[in-house]
Amino acid sequence: MRALFAFAFFLLLAGTAAAQHQHGKPGAAGPEAFTATPAFGPDGTLWLVRAMADRIVVVRSTDLGKTFSEPVVVTPEPMNLDWGPDARARIVVDPKGGLVVTFAIFQDRNFNGRAFYSRSNDNGVTFGKPRPITADPTSQRFETAAVDPATGRVFAAWLDKRNVAKARAAGKPYPGAALAYAWEDGEAGFGPTTIALDNTCECCRLGVAFAGPGKPAIVFRNIFPGSVRDHGVVTFKDEKTPGPVRRVSADEWKIEACPHHGPSIAVLPDGSYHVAWFTAGSARKGLFYARADNGDTPFGAPRALSQPNRQPARPYLLANGTALHLVWKEFDGTKSLVRWQVSHDSGRTWSDPRTVADTADASDHPMLAANAGRAYLSWLTKADGYRLIPLEDQP
Amino acid sequence: MKFRPLLLAVLLAVASAGAQAADLQSFGRGSWSKLRAAHDGQPTVVHFWGLTCAPCLVEMPEWGKLRAERPDMRLVMVAADPVPQDPARVSDMLARADLAKVENWAFVDRFNERLRYEIDPAWAGELPRTLLIDRDGKETVLTGVADLAEVRAWLDAQKKR
Repeated sequence: MRALFAFAFFLLLAGTAAAQHQHGKPGAAGPEAFTATPAFGPDGTLWLVRAMADRIVVVRSTDLGKTFSEPVVVTPEPMNLDWGPDARARIVVDPKGGLVVTFAIFQDRNFNGRAFYSRSNDNGVTFGKPRPITADPTSQRFETAAVDPATGRVFAAWLDKRNVAKARAAGKPYPGAALAYAWEDGEAGFGPTTIALDNTCECCRLGVAFAGPGKPAIVFRNIFPGSVRDHGVVTFKDEKTPGPVRRVSADEWKIEACPHHGPSIAVLPDGSYHVAWFTAGSARKGLFYARADNGDTPFGAPRALSQPNRQPARPYLLANGTALHLVWKEFDGTKSLVRWQVSHDSGRTWSDPRTVADTADASDHPMLAANAGRAYLSWLTKADGYRLIPLEDQP
Repeated sequence: MKFRPLLLAVLLAVASAGAQAADLQSFGRGSWSKLRAAHDGQPTVVHFWGLTCAPCLVEMPEWGKLRAERPDMRLVMVAADPVPQDPARVSDMLARADLAKVENWAFVDRFNERLRYEIDPAWAGELPRTLLIDRDGKETVLTGVADLAEVRAWLDAQKKR
């Protein structure tokens, strides 16, 4: 029976996207989200949230991704899901095993979004009716939830366009969007929304890590003076006080558009910050990594990952104890590869890059998750389905 | 097979006699080499744009105007959205920019890395992007919104060669 579920799940994974693979005239099918986002529960259960055409489903695996439960639908009715290349439904697990799923829909053809969340307090058997993450209806996208490991409280950050609408009404220009956040208020829902920062880039994913109790650190593509879309980190001083923007790197990417290619962040127990990002700036082009000793010091010199003619993209960082894992995607002319490096000295030196997975068709961004001291690559591919691959943790 | 271009021209004329919908060709694996071969030895402008690229949509009508001004220009438009878009909406945008009658392609394969690699291994997918390809196949890349004065100068220079 389990094998049957696994097979049915694989069909679900393959189904809609495969239908689009055809030759001749472009089909009538519209764009669709193709993502799978993992989270481990305290009991070692792997939870996976998938955007499937017009609905969000959650599956779980108790054998590290070998087999999956039947999908549980989070969205009771079909929804116009955000299929943007950097958007994804996400799932986090609180210390009690409660699940929070976040996702966004498109409200219109101008890519105005609406971010939703849904909670399950019965171990994923049922999910509450999805509710907007904020009361303001203007536009929210790239919602990202994270659990404060010290308090168990769920934090959410997203890109919000309420101030764009206000500026427009006042006849003033407003480049980009705003970085907004809210904390879950018990289990009743998300509390009031606060704008942490105006004029960020509007369509790249965010990265969130915790620098201490009540201190989320958010990395995002910012808009620096002169329409330069380089990365910044904001670390909270406490739950209600976002700190100043610390620039990660002066790449000088002056662009009046959004690259749909956001960064990743990890904070190690020694307090060090680690960021990986994509840029096509005049100072450097490609995929890069940099570290900072703590939340106040400047970031060090960027280190290039791979070479631009291999299309390095979609980096992801994970702190697992004192080990720091880094993966990204690159293309060798035939296949997409996931490349992996690990550092055991706070990001100062790294293992040689190694290919840990590949696929010869479209794929989601590589993600990382840890359970019981082990780190795993989580990767959804069109041709090979979903894979959870243990990373051999050796320097 | 000399009748083919004529046949194609007739078909295009018939197609464009009706609605202004663009005759959209599917851009998949191997399409780039076919496209290049079809224009081999002819100065050609290839413009990559996307429905999900706001600056592209602002720029599109300018390409429509250039096309009207230079009817002899070989212009190929490629909709290169990272997530393939609804062809009806792509066609609609082309018609609104007065570009329905040029050679139009749209990415239909979600394996965007592969398509980009065939065109230029170092292209990370930024849009808009314009390629000026001369008689000898030499490519000049214009990244971002194109300076159409530069395109006009290039077109003039090709005639003198």
